[in-house]
Amino acid sequence: MDYPLWNLGLGGGVLIGIVAVAHVLVSHFAIGGGFAIAVLETLAVRRRDPAWRALARRSSLMLILVSTVFGAISGVGIWVTIGLVQPAATSALIHNYVWGWAAEWGFFILEVVTALAYYATWDKVRPRTHLAIIWLYFFAAFMSLVIIQGILSFMLTPGRWVETHSFWDGIFNPSYLPGLVLRTGICLLLAGAYLTLAAQREASSGSRVAMVRLLAGLQVAGALLAYAGYRWWEHVLSSSVRAIFLGEKALLPALASTRHLVLWALALYLLLALFAVAAPRLHRWPTAVAALLVAFAFFGGYERLREGARKPFVIRDFMFANGILVSEIGDLDQRGVLSKARWAAREASGPDAKGMAVFKAECASCHTIDGYLSIRKLVAPVDPDMLNGILATMREEGSEYSAAGYVHQGHVATEKLDYPLMPPLVGTDEEVQALATYLLTLRPSHVAEVTHAN
Amino acid sequence: MPTSLIPALDPAPLPGPPWLFQVLWVLTFLIHLLLVDTVLGGSLLAALSGLSGAARREVQTLVVGINTWTISLAITFAIAPLLFIQVVLGRFFYSATILVAWLWLGMLGLLTVGYYLNYLAKARLRRGRGAGVLLVVEALCFLGIAAVQVTVSLLHMQPDRWERVAGSVWAALADPTFVPRYLHFVLAAVALAGAMVAWVAVRRARKGGDAEALAAMARYGVRAALIATLLQLVDGFWLLLTLPEEVLRGFMRGGPATMVPLTIGILAGILLLVVLAQVADPLAVPNKVRRVAELTVGAVVFMVLTRHQLRGLYLAASRAGEQAQVTPQWGPLALFLAVFVVCVALAVWAVVKAVRDRPAPGEEAA
Repeated sequence: MDYPLWNLGLGGGVLIGIVAVAHVLVSHFAIGGGFAIAVLETLAVRRRDPAWRALARRSSLMLILVSTVFGAISGVGIWVTIGLVQPAATSALIHNYVWGWAAEWGFFILEVVTALAYYATWDKVRPRTHLAIIWLYFFAAFMSLVIIQGILSFMLTPGRWVETHSFWDGIFNPSYLPGLVLRTGICLLLAGAYLTLAAQREASSGSRVAMVRLLAGLQVAGALLAYAGYRWWEHVLSSSVRAIFLGEKALLPALASTRHLVLWALALYLLLALFAVAAPRLHRWPTAVAALLVAFAFFGGYERLREGARKPFVIRDFMFANGILVSEIGDLDQRGVLSKARWAAREASGPDAKGMAVFKAECASCHTIDGYLSIRKLVAPVDPDMLNGILATMREEGSEYSAAGYVHQGHVATEKLDYPLMPPLVGTDEEVQALATYLLTLRPSHVAEVTHAN
Repeated sequence: MPTSLIPALDPAPLPGPPWLFQVLWVLTFLIHLLLVDTVLGGSLLAALSGLSGAARREVQTLVVGINTWTISLAITFAIAPLLFIQVVLGRFFYSATILVAWLWLGMLGLLTVGYYLNYLAKARLRRGRGAGVLLVVEALCFLGIAAVQVTVSLLHMQPDRWERVAGSVWAALADPTFVPRYLHFVLAAVALAGAMVAWVAVRRARKGGDAEALAAMARYGVRAALIATLLQLVDGFWLLLTLPEEVLRGFMRGGPATMVPLTIGILAGILLLVVLAQVADPLAVPNKVRRVAELTVGAVVFMVLTRHQLRGLYLAASRAGEQAQVTPQWGPLALFLAVFVVCVALAVWAVVKAVRDRPAPGEEAA
């Protein structure tokens, strides 16, 4: 919040979402693809089967182009994006997990070197060496997931870390293992779907059918693992998180719909995989493409769900989406939010500068004026009394957080608040009043009055 | 400038001794920079390979082949210094990047285009087709990335310029040190890549090959290194003179700690010129060509130290009184060190096996 503001029309969260989904698709494929190619080449060597070898070789180029090129760039892209959009949260994460990320970097080095060496040594080294290199690649790629899963899951379920601030408590948080099982399944199902598509180019019908059958087994295993991991993941979430997207009256209906999409996509994927097992000869381009698309839908949906379920936090129970810490609510109520948000104060201008500054400091991380989650649209139907009431309630909720009035099993029971998906409003009375005045100027009726008066 | 625009120090303690972060940061940055210099300088030499006469195709093929590895490794080795700068100077670094957010984000686009163009150029060259235009665009992409990096590097250590840049992004380029610093970066890359091209040509000539083309390739590399180093000497002094007065004064007052690395770096540059001037026929003096490569790398090593010290001086006033808490995470640190050592050892093993393990005649290959 005390960093410069990047006024991004489409919303910072959306940008992070686009980059993150692109990266996770690629990085999970890089792991599952490595495993599948290692299995294919191992079988090709044992059976002395040139068709299987050709499939492994073809797919290894894709692995290189996706893993070491796009994966590496989009991985750095996530750093770049979160640093721009959520600098305070990024800083908090880096201070806690720099050694975890550094260890993951060690595995990256091995992953990149073995991927490049593998592709460069087709036809050049003994089969045993070539196999050792691809299995080493898979080991490095999977271990990077083992580490990063700790940090990703920490943001949603920090668990005992909130009290201990211990590295290991944060990494081995409640959703660590379920998420790891789920992601392992995703790696397999993505790789299975892609390689089945690549196998369609095989000219010999017999070889193609054998390949599709083997890869279908991988797909079924991946889908079952992903389903088990997903259910387990839902099970370990706190009631506040579950309330956001589960149940008949989910707090965020859009996220509840995403959950339905996730489960339907996975079910459809499993059906297509079973079809491939039962009738590998009939599993051709249309069904193979469909399997890949529903795999994307499932995984993209899950990532959307995981990100959305953190509301109103960026690190649950610790830091809100606008960068304000739960622990500093009382202090900012006393000193004023603008005592910290210096850039917001600097950027605001005009007669309602103070209110605009408070808006930039507390609301602009999620709401734009006219674009994504437009605040103008939200305040359009609201009259001054109603707005003051809303803001007063949101401010009182800050007291609930600081007084830990709704703490349940170590978590803030956000579902009991009137505005469970929004950070509380913090700041002095004067700042809250200034915000109310500013928001009222955004209403279309106000704009019309001003225009008419001029 | 209102110092109040500098964000507050992150309340979380440093998870390791500050000196350790500095050491790891400089070491990993050095490796990253050597790889980046190879990519940037190599791409420029490939783009300008028409000047190499008979060696045009050899230079292009060599660069795109090496870049396949070095671009990936340069990106991978960017991660570590990126981690450590965020731990030590996060509040300065994030602020600078946000102020030039679109440029910083645009860097990813340039990187993607540059990297895929390299693969495209490699494929075309393999098929015997031309790749001149692709290589020019690739080099332009990497030049653009270098400009963004220099911009952020200068901006993060000068908070007094933030207010102006917040008003107009282009004010970021108005820094008087921008042009000499950018040239310093690019010229070093050309010198390093030139030395590498010459060295590879010499090694290939020893094993046989097209002597005429390899001689032209070696001459092209040496000439590029010579011209870049000559210009670098002039630019280096230009850069020194454009430094803010208090930074220059602090540097001069630093005694041996600051003056020794700079002096060795400059001496390495001068010595490099002397050796380069003696290389009329590179293939005839392979040892001298190797010496050129060693001196170039040596100069970069010491200049990285100087660069890091300059950053400290730039930020001295802004960080005065900064007292970060330190609560080392020894277990996770040990995990990192163990993983790093094991992974690097395995990576070296994989490369050695990939290079040496050749099937005997009649034996099957992978």
